[in-house]
Amino acid sequence: MARSPLILVALISLIPLLCHSFSPETPTGRRILVLVDDLAVKSSQSLYFKSLSSRGYELDFKLADDPKIALQRYGQYLYDGLVLFCPTVERFGGSIDQAAILDFVDSGHDLIIAADVQSSDLIREIATECGADFDEDPAAMVIDHINYAVSENEGDHTVIASDNLIKSDVILGSSKIEAPVLFQGIGHSLNPANSLVFKVLSASPATYSANPKSKLSSPPALTGSAISLVSVMQARNNARILISGSLSMFSNRFFRSGVQKAQSSTKHEKSGNEQFLTEISKWVFHERGHLKAVNVKHHKVGEEDEPAVYRIKDDLEYSVEIYEWSGSSWEPYVADDVQVQFYMMSPYVLKTLTSDKKGVYSTSFKVPDVYGVFQFKVEYEKLGYTTLSLSKQIPVRPFKHNEYERFIPAAYPYYGAAFSMMVGFFLFSFVHLYSK
Amino acid sequence: MALETLAGVISLASNEIGQSRIDAVKNDILKLFDSIEKYDDGTFYFDEKVDGVGPLATTSSVVQGLTAFASTASGRVKLPEDNILGLTKYFLSIGIPGDAKEFFNQVNSLSCLENSRVSVPLILALPATVVSLTNKDKLKVRVTTALGSRSPPLKVKLVRAFISGSKDASVIENQELIFDSEGAFHILDLLPTSIDVGKYTFVFEIVLQDSEDAKVYVTGGQTKVPVYISAIIKIENAEISVLDSDLGSVDTQKKLNLGKEDDVSLAANHLQKLRLSFQLSTPHGHAFKPHQAILKLKHEKAEHIFLVGNSGKKFQVILDFLGLVEKFFYLSGRYDIQLSIGDAVMENSFCQDLGHVELDLPEAPEKAPRPAAQPDDPFSKYGPKAEISHIFRAPEKRPSENLSLAFLALTLLPFLGFLVGLLKLGVNLKNFPSAPVPAMFAILFHVGIGSILALYALFWLKLDLFTTLKALGLLGVFVMFVGHRILSHLASTSSKLKSA
Repeated sequence: MARSPLILVALISLIPLLCHSFSPETPTGRRILVLVDDLAVKSSQSLYFKSLSSRGYELDFKLADDPKIALQRYGQYLYDGLVLFCPTVERFGGSIDQAAILDFVDSGHDLIIAADVQSSDLIREIATECGADFDEDPAAMVIDHINYAVSENEGDHTVIASDNLIKSDVILGSSKIEAPVLFQGIGHSLNPANSLVFKVLSASPATYSANPKSKLSSPPALTGSAISLVSVMQARNNARILISGSLSMFSNRFFRSGVQKAQSSTKHEKSGNEQFLTEISKWVFHERGHLKAVNVKHHKVGEEDEPAVYRIKDDLEYSVEIYEWSGSSWEPYVADDVQVQFYMMSPYVLKTLTSDKKGVYSTSFKVPDVYGVFQFKVEYEKLGYTTLSLSKQIPVRPFKHNEYERFIPAAYPYYGAAFSMMVGFFLFSFVHLYSK
Repeated sequence: MALETLAGVISLASNEIGQSRIDAVKNDILKLFDSIEKYDDGTFYFDEKVDGVGPLATTSSVVQGLTAFASTASGRVKLPEDNILGLTKYFLSIGIPGDAKEFFNQVNSLSCLENSRVSVPLILALPATVVSLTNKDKLKVRVTTALGSRSPPLKVKLVRAFISGSKDASVIENQELIFDSEGAFHILDLLPTSIDVGKYTFVFEIVLQDSEDAKVYVTGGQTKVPVYISAIIKIENAEISVLDSDLGSVDTQKKLNLGKEDDVSLAANHLQKLRLSFQLSTPHGHAFKPHQAILKLKHEKAEHIFLVGNSGKKFQVILDFLGLVEKFFYLSGRYDIQLSIGDAVMENSFCQDLGHVELDLPEAPEKAPRPAAQPDDPFSKYGPKAEISHIFRAPEKRPSENLSLAFLALTLLPFLGFLVGLLKLGVNLKNFPSAPVPAMFAILFHVGIGSILALYALFWLKLDLFTTLKALGLLGVFVMFVGHRILSHLASTSSKLKSA
């Protein structure tokens, strides 16, 4: 009788192992909460949601002011990612508010925000916290009279076909996006002091942000290439945030439509929206560009064990293994710009690690002739990749008394003096005792 | 859904149910339609706040039930025309839903509306609302039923056309459109009219030719459609000049080719003004004010934007540098000039670099504001750093080997001098003991001393202190013993000699 509760407890304790949740071993979380203004969004952006669910994500659609929504319960987060497709929400329902969303990001989870014309202040404030400042005029839209998408039904040039994409294979995938990306919404600018946020889709020099229905009375605040249409932020804890100024960019209509840029005669069959948004969602949910570094090893050349102390002017070898998460498994990461520093207050040695194409990076160098407590530091920052920050402490001692150079030619006179003294004494012992 | 089942019941038992019951159901239907909701653009829909059931599903079930009921019940169900048309527009405006079930609902509802006996809605649509005067496009209008089949014979009339947002009188009144039976379009040729470029609202009305059709078909009164009439705008007399401030006299003046390449280079100081002027006119010769008329001056550290104002056809902007010195943060240097002119109805919008102007502004005073920081290129921040290799401390300079060897020779000189001195003194080994036992001790004594010296040499070469001391202890004891014997022997022989 005492057996069955024991078995029950054992079974229950196995349950956490069955959860596919966000953890350092599997950085791609599974459960995503999608908050929308009205459920028509679920069907009008259905191609985009299908691309997410076909990669294994569980999407939970809720109205933004549903009183039962919550991000965490009893300290545990219920979701691994959040998608806010609710540009006009004034107040979230349930226990979600701006502070809760920012806490969610601070704990390492990912976020996608889509604003649109007539966005509420709440969405704008959340975007400002993430580094993107939207135009203050709520009726303003991004207008471009040169790079608009030619259309028979929309004549006010607010649907822009943009191909100013960031050049980064890790964020946008390795295949080039041929067709321009359609965008209709509001633009934002990025704070120049913020080094964590960058533009992924930016506007052309002729773009400006204004209300299309009224004349301009003062120069527009956002003009030219400073306008960002879609930007991305990677926080210091490697949480990733996508900020887009257009909700209709994700819609089936834009995914399927052809594009012809004004003042150009090439007609593309399909816009680049689907490829662009699918690839960037892969990046946001850590399916690309997420690195981990394991197995830091260092030893003297010729030895295998890791010593506790190095001596100055030793030759040593340092190696580390770096892997990249591919969405389902850890693949070896290949690059040629990972560097290691031998650091005490400032780097004494900085060397680029060579890769053996299987994920192991190694190099060797001579320990400097300064003694103290050093650190092996790897600070790897690359656009679009998580930051690697490794540090291993190791002391360095000076020479022992018996490790100095012996038999120095400059000392020959001294050797000569001593030995001639010894030989002289030996001879003298004979002479002194036995001569008459 | 309730209505559909009810319709099914009625169709099965059509004869027995009394008229009063049917009237009751009709009243209920009217009450249901009171709860209809509408979007701003005139579409109507039903919404039930039940989780998981969207407005599309709710509205389509109402429509299907209604048409099923109407097809079985006798007598008409009186519903306002707007509602039917609004519901049809709702189904048409969703686009293509992603879910297959919702798609079925949408198409099924549209076909119910089309075939219904309540009233068939007629939809007026324009395939293109952007019409170009330069390309000599004609405005086309098409009228069909909800699922696209042909409408009965009718005429489309353009009641009014006026510029959107303005309260002016309309430009065109009561014009009938010509029916092109080939493409089933109604066409309006814009050229003979005096319509100029701009954003217009066209108000259309459908007039059914056969009055019988009015009972079956629903036309929806007047339909407002926004239409954009665009054309190429003529740009003339573009020039840029630097003026001397007080007198207004021209210092330098250059002609510009707006719309094509331009690269002027001007120089100005803070006492002068920069003037840019040009003329814009529409194909019909009227003045045209574009939405975007922006002049940008770009310095490497700051960017400044100005609007180009107009009076009638002439556009002009004068930048008085004296007043702008503080706005420009007192930065002198090269400013690139860029002009952007654009509008929704202008087909030749452009954003063009005109050249540059070298500005000479006075020095900044102490408290002048600084320009905002410019954003960095993200790629430049993230490159690999330069390699550092430690430069080891150079060892102290040692004297050359030859010098050391020379001094080695010098130190050995006293030894040689010692040997020479010994020989000069005439040393000999006469006192060496001849008897075997003392001789042995003597030899052992010298061997012992030699071995101690050899031990010192060995210690210098490779031994450590501990083994050396151990060996020294043993050797020392031996030498002491042996030495005592020989020395005492020597002392006794010499004292014997002395006493004798």
